[in-house]
Amino acid sequence: MTDDLQRPPLHDRHSALGAKFAAFGGWQMPLEYADGGVVAEHTAVREAVGVFDVSHLGKATVRGSGAAEFVNACLTNDLGRIGPGKAQYTMCCDDAAGGVVDDLIAYLHADDHVFLIPNAANTAEVCRRLAEAAPDGVTVANEHTDHAVLAVQGPGSTELLAALKLPTEHEYMSFTEASYEGRSLIVCRTGYTGEHGYELVVPATDAAVVWDGLLRAGADLGARPCGLGARDTLRTEMGYPLHGQDLSMEITPVQARAGWAVGWKKPAFWGREQLLAEKEAGPRRTLRGLEAAERGIPRAHMDVYAGDTRIGEVTSGTFSPTKRVGIALTLIDTAAQLAEGDEVEVDIRGRRSRMRVVKPPFVTPHVR
Amino acid sequence: MIPEDLRYTPEHEWVRAQPDAPAVRVGITHYAQDALGDIVFVQLPDVGAKATAGESFGEVESTKSVSDIYAPVDGAVTAVNSSLAESPELLNSDPYGEGWLVEIEPADQAALGNLLDATGYRELTESE
Repeated sequence: MTDDLQRPPLHDRHSALGAKFAAFGGWQMPLEYADGGVVAEHTAVREAVGVFDVSHLGKATVRGSGAAEFVNACLTNDLGRIGPGKAQYTMCCDDAAGGVVDDLIAYLHADDHVFLIPNAANTAEVCRRLAEAAPDGVTVANEHTDHAVLAVQGPGSTELLAALKLPTEHEYMSFTEASYEGRSLIVCRTGYTGEHGYELVVPATDAAVVWDGLLRAGADLGARPCGLGARDTLRTEMGYPLHGQDLSMEITPVQARAGWAVGWKKPAFWGREQLLAEKEAGPRRTLRGLEAAERGIPRAHMDVYAGDTRIGEVTSGTFSPTKRVGIALTLIDTAAQLAEGDEVEVDIRGRRSRMRVVKPPFVTPHVR
Repeated sequence: MIPEDLRYTPEHEWVRAQPDAPAVRVGITHYAQDALGDIVFVQLPDVGAKATAGESFGEVESTKSVSDIYAPVDGAVTAVNSSLAESPELLNSDPYGEGWLVEIEPADQAALGNLLDATGYRELTESE
């Protein structure tokens, strides 16, 4: 492992659990644990509960008079649709091109206080763009290393949080302040797995106390520490896009079929003109799901064919531990006019493998 | 996790001579399965296929990635482990036992002598 990677506050905990590490957005994070592995960790989240350290995720605070109004004039989704205490999936687009700088979650605390969780690799850039555009009186603080984020995901997540006397009753996509052993933290009803779950935003110095408490109380509930390998298979089964693969500066929200996260009626947001024009004209390609009709696991960047015609490319592909088949998110040319159920082929290392077009999610979500 | 009685290739396969049969049994090492992670698909040659030392004759695919498996010696495939189609995880749980891949009847029994012994293989994995 190179030494220039940022380590999360729980690094020693992960080492002690025999984690294999990988680099994620400049951070050295656990990929899987010695007693687990991707499939066991994935299954724990679908059937019991999993505890993830996702402290590589960015954290930023926008504060000052008119902070929410300012954020709403930059990011795509309409913050006016939610009230204080609620969170919203949104995107930061490039104003000129409409491509996605990052997708993120905005936590609306008050009109003058918005907390953001961008992706690790894009946090500095999102902060830079916001800070550059911020009016007088509004500040943008990059708090990347100030907080840890622990995700508790799965049907047993409520019971696990209750064992720590943390609040569990708030609705999906909302958050509330709480404390654990005298340490304050924020309990968000959010996640990236498709299961009922929580994400805890904890001061970095308190991360170990909360992590230890979760694993101790979770032992009786079949809880497992889960790495980012399982997080990727879980999110792919849900069809949740990953920035850098399914969303990027070259892939717009219209192409990614993320128009539901764009406040089209807002007078202003970055990329509005480009995205409205693309929506009006119809995108040249869109994000589609594929499920393997035979053995074969599609992987990112493999080509997709209809007959002899190359019609697109895999952006994310993996083995679905739940369905036990290969699944993929793909960018497919609109001109191919594919319908759900149609068969296409993916070139897997020189071999054509049959796949069916399906509408994600590949597995039924249970987020509520 | 490197049994003393086996022979090894630099591509992380093991080879076991069988006392009562001319064919050798072949699998992937503990080191290999650990590096691959959870194995979800195994593609093996058909019985009767020709194996050429150093050439790919199958694939193992994990949740993360796919790897070729290379024939350790020249010869003919005399058996394949059919339980891997349903239970590829045997490669992770028992790589030297239930997770064996194929049996090959070597064209030249002396070829085994060219493979690494346990000490040589241990040195190889420690240098990787």
